[in-house]
Amino acid sequence: MEKSLYQKLKLGIFVITGTIFFILGVYFIGDKQNMFGNSYHIYATFNNTNGLKPGNNVRYSGINVGTVKEIVMVSDTLIVVKISIEKDITKHIKTDAKCAITSDGLVGSMIINILPGYQSQNSITQGDTIRSSSRIRTDEMLQTLSVTNENAALLTGELLAITKEISAGKGIIGNMLKDSTMSKDLKEIITHLKNTSAASTTTIIQLNKILSSLDQKDNIVGILRDTATASKVKNIIVNVEKSSRDLDVVIKHFDETILNANQTITNVKEGKGALNYLSNDPRLVRKIDQTMSHLDSTVLHIDNAGIKLNENLEALKNTWLLRGYFKKLEKEKNESE
Amino acid sequence: MNDIQNSTNKIVVIKDLVKSYGEHKVLNGFNMELFEGETVVIMGKSGSGKSVMIKCLIGLESHDSGTITIMNKNLDKMDADTLNDIRTEVGFLFQGSALYDSMSVRENLEFPLRRHIGKFGKIGDATPLVMEALESVGLPQTIDLMPEELSGGMKRRIALARTLILKPKIILYDEPTTGLDPITSKEIVLLMKSIQEKYKTSSIVITHDVDCARFIADRMILLIDGINYIMGTYLELSQSEDPKVKAFFKQ
Amino acid sequence: MKPNNILIAPIRSFFVETGELAYFAGRFFREIFRRPFEFKELLKQCYNMGNRSMLLVGVTGFIIGLVFTLQSRPKMIELGAVAWLPSMVSISIIREIGPIITALICAGRIGSGIGAELGAMRVTEQIDAMEVSGTNPFKFLVVTRILATTLMIPLLVIMSDAVALFGSFLIENIKGDVSFTLYFDEVFRALKYSDLVPSTIKTFFFGFAIGLVGCYKGYYCKHGTVGVGLTANAAVVEASMVVFIIDFAAVLITDIFYSI
Repeated sequence: MEKSLYQKLKLGIFVITGTIFFILGVYFIGDKQNMFGNSYHIYATFNNTNGLKPGNNVRYSGINVGTVKEIVMVSDTLIVVKISIEKDITKHIKTDAKCAITSDGLVGSMIINILPGYQSQNSITQGDTIRSSSRIRTDEMLQTLSVTNENAALLTGELLAITKEISAGKGIIGNMLKDSTMSKDLKEIITHLKNTSAASTTTIIQLNKILSSLDQKDNIVGILRDTATASKVKNIIVNVEKSSRDLDVVIKHFDETILNANQTITNVKEGKGALNYLSNDPRLVRKIDQTMSHLDSTVLHIDNAGIKLNENLEALKNTWLLRGYFKKLEKEKNESE
Repeated sequence: MNDIQNSTNKIVVIKDLVKSYGEHKVLNGFNMELFEGETVVIMGKSGSGKSVMIKCLIGLESHDSGTITIMNKNLDKMDADTLNDIRTEVGFLFQGSALYDSMSVRENLEFPLRRHIGKFGKIGDATPLVMEALESVGLPQTIDLMPEELSGGMKRRIALARTLILKPKIILYDEPTTGLDPITSKEIVLLMKSIQEKYKTSSIVITHDVDCARFIADRMILLIDGINYIMGTYLELSQSEDPKVKAFFKQ
Repeated sequence: MKPNNILIAPIRSFFVETGELAYFAGRFFREIFRRPFEFKELLKQCYNMGNRSMLLVGVTGFIIGLVFTLQSRPKMIELGAVAWLPSMVSISIIREIGPIITALICAGRIGSGIGAELGAMRVTEQIDAMEVSGTNPFKFLVVTRILATTLMIPLLVIMSDAVALFGSFLIENIKGDVSFTLYFDEVFRALKYSDLVPSTIKTFFFGFAIGLVGCYKGYYCKHGTVGVGLTANAAVVEASMVVFIIDFAAVLITDIFYSI
């Protein structure tokens, strides 16, 4: 039962050394637990670790998946961070994943955040190096922000001026803004007028040509004796009739247009709304006046042409050569009536 | 007395007992025999190894060599259970009473019965035994007191009652009168004598109190230098011419 | 074998004592499975230790929780993290402060008590008396006491943790305005099984160590009444040391299982 001193001494030494080895063993196992193969080591390079320390957490999609094991400064701008990651997780992390150093909350320590990659099909494995995206530091962010702010201030200033002018009714936009339908109508009217005047001018020119050709020839009788000429003349007359009919239409159109124009002009003269400006624009007014005078003179010409045509027709009737024809024509007319 | 001495029934035999602490040999070949019904007083100076001897006898201390035989059983080759069986036959009155401070007198007296429930029935039935033991030391009224409420002499008597409760064949007294005033010492010695007669026990008494020794000793052994230096009745020893024995009695 | 060198002697005695302690522990494990079992005495010891230490441990735990919160609160406000206070306090108390403070208090209270009691029983020969009267004192005195500390100290630690959290809540409630439900909701949200289980397991070892050292010291007490005082003293010092070593080892082991 009773143990000798030597036995006690031996057991004592054994117990103490055993305890020391146990604690050391546990310590080193705790330190190098990755040797037991439940995690992989991967690497990431940074040029600024923002106060990252060994033992800090590593997160992937918000899950703690590992810890920072070692931070080695390779060169003056390159720091290699050794990360241990649980083996089970590594199959979800693709080789094109990126990592960034961020802060874990307000007073928290720094963490490495692995952002998932989407292109690669291959998972990371032992010893891989993953890309790092350098974290934008707060002061840099603030600098960029201040430049943006200055630009924004300038922009808003100019915008303010523009809006002021617009609201004051200056410029086309202002006008458009104030009465867009009116100005559109005006534009339409003006183009309409232009087209109409151009068309009537060509008609009048043609008429003048015909008439002048009729007036000019002294030996017209000789020509008319020819039946071909007679049929030609007949054609001409038919044409003239047609033309006069057309002219009627044109003139009716003109009447409408003039009515419209008059309406517009009265509106303008009364100075309603935005047309204040339009009426005050001398060029436009002048243009309208010109158009009007043009119209007047055109109408005058047409009147003249009509009179002359009637005169010509009377003269033709009285000509002996064509008397029979006209009588026949009258007869047919009477018969049909 | 003669019939006791002539009896061949040696209840305790100690032969060549050697016990040393470190290099200091406390016992160096001690021999003694105890006959049934006899009271042997072992005397010696303080530190002469009396207490060590008696503790070796009951197995509280292990001895280096020699043999101890109690009731024809060798203590050396004994397993714990047999040793405990022997111990129920051997009462031991300790020097300082050794009452359990945390227990009442009743619990103190019941404590030795714990191991021997089969022998005495259930613990709950122990009250008559406790009362009997207490009455034999003359203190039945203290049954529900705590040891701290008792005087030194009463404690010694309760301790004696506790030794008696198992009705041992042998009682070992370790300095039964130490630390007590002469009158109480006298009472204790008288009590020892009466118990001796009542229960017919054999006793080994260790003391350096000569008066006590003279009163109860059938035989005396003087323990000097680790051996049983001289043995005899009180009269024989007190008249011895041996200088060491003389020196002892002069004290 | 005699110590002959002033340097070697203490080292040698240190190793010898450790060896004795190891044998003592071995004997405990041998005896624990041997009949008879001292259930009554075990219950008595459990009651004694739990009951005697409850007030002291409770008051200490309460004050620890109170002071800890009071001290950390201004700093947390400075960091703007006063809402984290319940979780921080609870984790510190459950994981380390509660167990270690309670264990040290119990090393002082129970360890010294056991050391002194057994020491006194040894020097007044009560242990010898037990042995003589056929009762195995090791089983009756030592096994019951070590078992009692092993079982009671975890309970005391849990109580101390609870009282400390309550003290912490009280300060939070007085200084701020946190309701009882909110505070303890925060506390339980912060706590995980990995906080609670290892720290509870280690308290069993604390209890075992306190009981073992106290009993060993008392059981082999020497040098009379002066020795009893020395024994009680040594029991406290050595029990505290062993508690610290166990705590250190426990933290390292916990680290292996619960890190990452």
